[in-house]
Amino acid sequence: MGQNQSGLPGQQDPNAQKEKEKKAKKYEQPAPTRIGKKKKKKASGIQESKLPVVVPHTKCKLKLLKLERVKDYLLMEEEFIQNQERLRPAEEKTQEERSKVDDLRGTPMGVGTLEEMIDDNHAIVSSSVGPEYYVNIMTFVDKDQIEPGCSILMHNKVLSVVGLLADDVDPMVSVMKVDKAPLESYADIGGLESQITEIKEAVELPMTHPELYEEVGIKPPKGVILYGEPGTGKTLLAKAVANHTSATFLRVVGSELIQKYLGDGPKLVRELFRVADEHAPSIVFIDEIDAVGTKRYDATSGGEREIQRTMLELLNQLDGFDSRGDVKVILATNKIESLDPALLRPGRIDRKIEFPMPDVKTKRHIFGIHTTKMTLADDVNLEEFVMSKDELSGADIKAICTEAGLLALRERRMKVSQAEFRKAKENVLYKKKGGHPEGLYL
Amino acid sequence: MNVDLAAAGKGGAKDAKGKKDGKKKKDEADDLSPEDAKLKADLDLLAERALDADAGVQKAALDAMINEIRSSTSSMTSVPKPLKFLRPHYAVLKAAFATCSNQANKTLMADVLSVLAMTMGGEGERESLKFKLQGSIDDIGTWGHEYVRNLSGEIAAEYEELTADKAAAVNVDSASGTLGSVFLLIRQMVPFFMKHNSEPEAVDLLMEVESLHEIINHVDPANCTRICLYLEQVSRYVPEPDDRKVIATAIACLRKVGKVTEAVRFALLIGDIDLVVEIINSCDDPSLRKQAAFLLSRQGVRPELKDESLADICAGSLLSENYLNLARELDVVEPKLPEDIFKTYLERKGGALSNFDSARQNLASTFVNAFVNAGYGADKLMLTEGNKWLYKNKEHGMMSAAASLGVLLLWDVDNGLTQIDKFLYSTDNYIKAGALLAVGLLNTGVRNECDPALALLAEHLESSNAMMKIAAIFGLGMAYVGSQKEEVLEMLLPIVADTDAPLDVASFAALALGLVFVGSCHEDVCQCVMAALMEREQSALEAQSLARFLCVGAGLLYLGKQSAVDVTLELSKTIPGRIGEYCERTLETCAYMGSGNVLKVQRLMAMTGEHPDAPAPLTAVEGAAEGAPAAAPPPAAGAAAAGAGAGAASAGGGASTAAVKAEDKLFDAQTVATFGIALVAMGEEFGAQMAHRSFGHMLQYGDVSARRGVPLAVGLLHASVPKQEAVDLLSKLSHDPDVPTATNSILAMGLVGAGTNNSRVANNLRALASYYSKEAGLLFAVRVAQGLLHAGKGLLGFNAYHSGRAVFCPNAGAALVTLMHVLLDFKGLILGKHHYLLYVLIAAAAPRMLITVDEELKPLPVSVRVGTAVDIVGLAGKPKSITGFQTHQTPVLLGHEDRAELATDEYLPLHSTLEGFIILKKNPEYVAPAKE
Repeated sequence: MGQNQSGLPGQQDPNAQKEKEKKAKKYEQPAPTRIGKKKKKKASGIQESKLPVVVPHTKCKLKLLKLERVKDYLLMEEEFIQNQERLRPAEEKTQEERSKVDDLRGTPMGVGTLEEMIDDNHAIVSSSVGPEYYVNIMTFVDKDQIEPGCSILMHNKVLSVVGLLADDVDPMVSVMKVDKAPLESYADIGGLESQITEIKEAVELPMTHPELYEEVGIKPPKGVILYGEPGTGKTLLAKAVANHTSATFLRVVGSELIQKYLGDGPKLVRELFRVADEHAPSIVFIDEIDAVGTKRYDATSGGEREIQRTMLELLNQLDGFDSRGDVKVILATNKIESLDPALLRPGRIDRKIEFPMPDVKTKRHIFGIHTTKMTLADDVNLEEFVMSKDELSGADIKAICTEAGLLALRERRMKVSQAEFRKAKENVLYKKKGGHPEGLYL
Repeated sequence: MNVDLAAAGKGGAKDAKGKKDGKKKKDEADDLSPEDAKLKADLDLLAERALDADAGVQKAALDAMINEIRSSTSSMTSVPKPLKFLRPHYAVLKAAFATCSNQANKTLMADVLSVLAMTMGGEGERESLKFKLQGSIDDIGTWGHEYVRNLSGEIAAEYEELTADKAAAVNVDSASGTLGSVFLLIRQMVPFFMKHNSEPEAVDLLMEVESLHEIINHVDPANCTRICLYLEQVSRYVPEPDDRKVIATAIACLRKVGKVTEAVRFALLIGDIDLVVEIINSCDDPSLRKQAAFLLSRQGVRPELKDESLADICAGSLLSENYLNLARELDVVEPKLPEDIFKTYLERKGGALSNFDSARQNLASTFVNAFVNAGYGADKLMLTEGNKWLYKNKEHGMMSAAASLGVLLLWDVDNGLTQIDKFLYSTDNYIKAGALLAVGLLNTGVRNECDPALALLAEHLESSNAMMKIAAIFGLGMAYVGSQKEEVLEMLLPIVADTDAPLDVASFAALALGLVFVGSCHEDVCQCVMAALMEREQSALEAQSLARFLCVGAGLLYLGKQSAVDVTLELSKTIPGRIGEYCERTLETCAYMGSGNVLKVQRLMAMTGEHPDAPAPLTAVEGAAEGAPAAAPPPAAGAAAAGAGAGAASAGGGASTAAVKAEDKLFDAQTVATFGIALVAMGEEFGAQMAHRSFGHMLQYGDVSARRGVPLAVGLLHASVPKQEAVDLLSKLSHDPDVPTATNSILAMGLVGAGTNNSRVANNLRALASYYSKEAGLLFAVRVAQGLLHAGKGLLGFNAYHSGRAVFCPNAGAALVTLMHVLLDFKGLILGKHHYLLYVLIAAAAPRMLITVDEELKPLPVSVRVGTAVDIVGLAGKPKSITGFQTHQTPVLLGHEDRAELATDEYLPLHSTLEGFIILKKNPEYVAPAKE
């Protein structure tokens, strides 16, 4: 269609007219322009520099040979470039070219928005003042990167597109990225041996040893959900995973995905997974997933509907049409029964890892972890608490230890005695049970 | 980050464990679950007992230990528990082993230690293997896959060391002794791997110890395909002499299980025709022999076979008929006019209409008509009554027009000859010459027992008219491409050898010989051509653009033959001047075509990076001096040089001064080196992809000569494969201010899309047609490219690789190489008098079809699935070999990257790579689905 609009007058003689009519039915739609479409960021620009994918993943001689071949070529490229650089430094050349481009761009430049691509070299733009223009796109602008709606630089007089302003990532998402690894490691987890093994198999191993899965002929799991009573160490385990792996770790809390404006929540989810994809291999950890992932029902309020839509987007991102490469998902909740069944179906979340209340041995271990740094009086016998019948979660135990320390501090003592531990336990359990004293039946 | 992960992955599980162990050491006692604690206590006890002096106790303890180790199951992420608990005892047990006297117990202990060494042994110590060799030779599989794998790694390292020792002649006896026991071990491990679906590991192990042939003993029909697929891919990446060994092993495997046609395919992979003949002659099944003959026919080789009935198939006599059948099936029989291809009404008219000379426009239409209706035997211009079109061309144009008959009637020898016959008696020399060439082209790729081409063309070799002589020579070359026919040799060799013969005639003779004896390393031809290059005046050679065919002819003789070229290569270094350099580069690139030889690529890449013209003041003088003989040719030297001179003058206006200087070079070795990279790398996909990457750098840093080679290289790498990245790069280069670069990229674009009707390429070309509407030369290139794009109305393919993109067809390769060299002087040759050279590409054309026939060779339509091929080498289970497939009824069209598989169980194909002609056999186990 672009061709028609910019067709020049001059074919008006009757002969051509007739010709045109005759040919009119033969008109073929030109193949659409490839550029200027909304697309995944991944495809932009970097395609050429990407290395070919080496299959099979299984460790074998063929893989070695193929990788060596690729390496040879890379070495040759390096050699070639080094030689050329010696002859004529690229810096000089780029500077020259840059100044040339700057000349073409002219000063001052204006900022505008790209409204629509007409064909490969023309577009409709609008400046901040208002009116829209049909303008040229300069050849040196990377057309793979421009898309409708992006900010562009315009020439001051003819308003042609002379550059584009890179669209950066949603700041919300960049906050989610964990830059500093948490200090908690697997060693700080008492018990939970089987849970650690499971999460390692489902999350870490596919990234470090993908060939193992291929050998058996299965696809590695995409994600896991950690569930169990409060304070049983779900978040702690996720932290340990983040500590242990060198993959990008993105952490979100479910409630963060609920946004003020319509459509912002799903957009955030999309952004999140896009960033994860860009930085692959990566792990996305969504804590308290029940904030968005509750069962669907006929919602009347717009807010609830929005939350459900956010979840639908999440469903799609987890197992939608686009394949997620090296992105693993860890969800955590303590109300798994309230979650939408679609969220938990195999293919989205392949493994459900339960976190039970600690048993005696684990309790002992947890007490050990929390009291190693405390100075205990000689009379302290932790076995008493370990063996007691009360339901103690890991968090409770930590609270007991802290509370006992605080009590000792109140007395201005540097050692924590058994009595304080007992008192601390009472306090903690009293609070936990909602203010009813222990042993009172109502 | 990936690297980090990989590094972490290497020792990941183990390291993590180690760290964890370290931290936990202090409270290990209460860390263990009761079961673990018990296990640990037991094992501690057993380890102690194993040190016992009493043999009985010792044996019992060891047996229990072995039992414990074998029965333990573990998670993937950690070391099995028994191994973990036994670790502290490793050193003690080792000491005990050294002093142990009881032989039976010693063996048992060696077994245990061998397993333990897997986790404990230091890097490079290979203790696991050491102990295993002293241990029992029982079924090693019981120790688990990981153990066997670890062992095979140690064997490889050990073997390397032992053989290195052997070479140094130090303690030969002990080395060979160990080797013997190592081989015993290997014979156990290979069946284990085979049984457990890891054929690649078995192959790797045997390759490490240089006894790959042993795999033949373990091949059965079930695993043969997987093994051979793996071997095929490996062979592409191992260095020169080894690859043949690998393929030879694969052939032996295939013959063992009776897959004759696959064995033939593998033999064609290494181009071993004698082996092919032997395989076919030893086969009893006539249908299988026929299928093998179809493969040979596609490859374009016709060896003497015992079974006479196969000659017909080999000769390609079914090709024309079935090609037309396919056309009928796809409803494209109706001839197309060039105007249908150009679709000028879709082009944007830029300002006033150009006054572009009509002769050239008609010539372009002639070529387009020839390519588009190639092989159909019908068109709307040439084969109509009155031959009006023929007379719309002028002089040499008439020759090309007449020659186009050969392309139109391609493969249909009997019918075609009668139609061309009348032109052979024409009074016009141009038409007569064209008709001679048409006779040659007609026979390209097929054979007829009467050898009409030889009979008709031979008499004109003595013609006094140089043009007719050239046409006859070129025709012979095309008709017998790759046939190595002795008669042709006898006729043409004297022409090359005769130093008094005109240079252009001799050059064509050399080219024709090169085509006929492609890849044969024929000594006489080679000597003769090289002698011609050396004896003739250097200045005369360098003034005549056609002289490049002397080099190309020599190069084609060694096409793909790698180091066989060495002697000739040395010889070529003695040839002085530019032509010497050109010849050397041509020989080198041709010989290593498709080899993927990285060292060659490195050399060529270094050459493309040279800047001979860089120090400005000095070379300006030089350039002028060099330019002088070319710019002032003697009037009789032909239009080529004149064209070049004129080109220099015309380009002077627009292009940069560097371009002008390069324009003077008729023989540009640097450009040859550039597309030579593509020639060398085109054998395997990784080389091709990586080479494509490096072209970017060449465009960035290279001189204008290298720049001109890049589009040609892209065209070669992607012939008939219109990949987006290739088309994008070419379309960028097609607007280059340097005219030869633009021309090359336009034609390369045509080649990339050749025979595919790709709409994106078509659009690009249409846009280029309006962009260059005022530049006659470039517009001509655009038109030819458009013709190529729609070659055979989209039924032809021009890639040099066929049969699963693996088998290299030397005839097609020769055609592509020749075309590339022709394009180096587009202005002089194509826009001059020798445009008919474009027809050389016909030798690469083959219908990209799949036709299924029954054992009587009657067409047998079945439904097939066609989809994009997926690399399934080394994958577990039975993975899908195609993706995104559609089901069609045969005959069907296959793209270069497509693969087909039968959609029905009713028939069995006699060859696993479904391409070209496939014979189907009834499946005896087929049960028709019950009907309602």
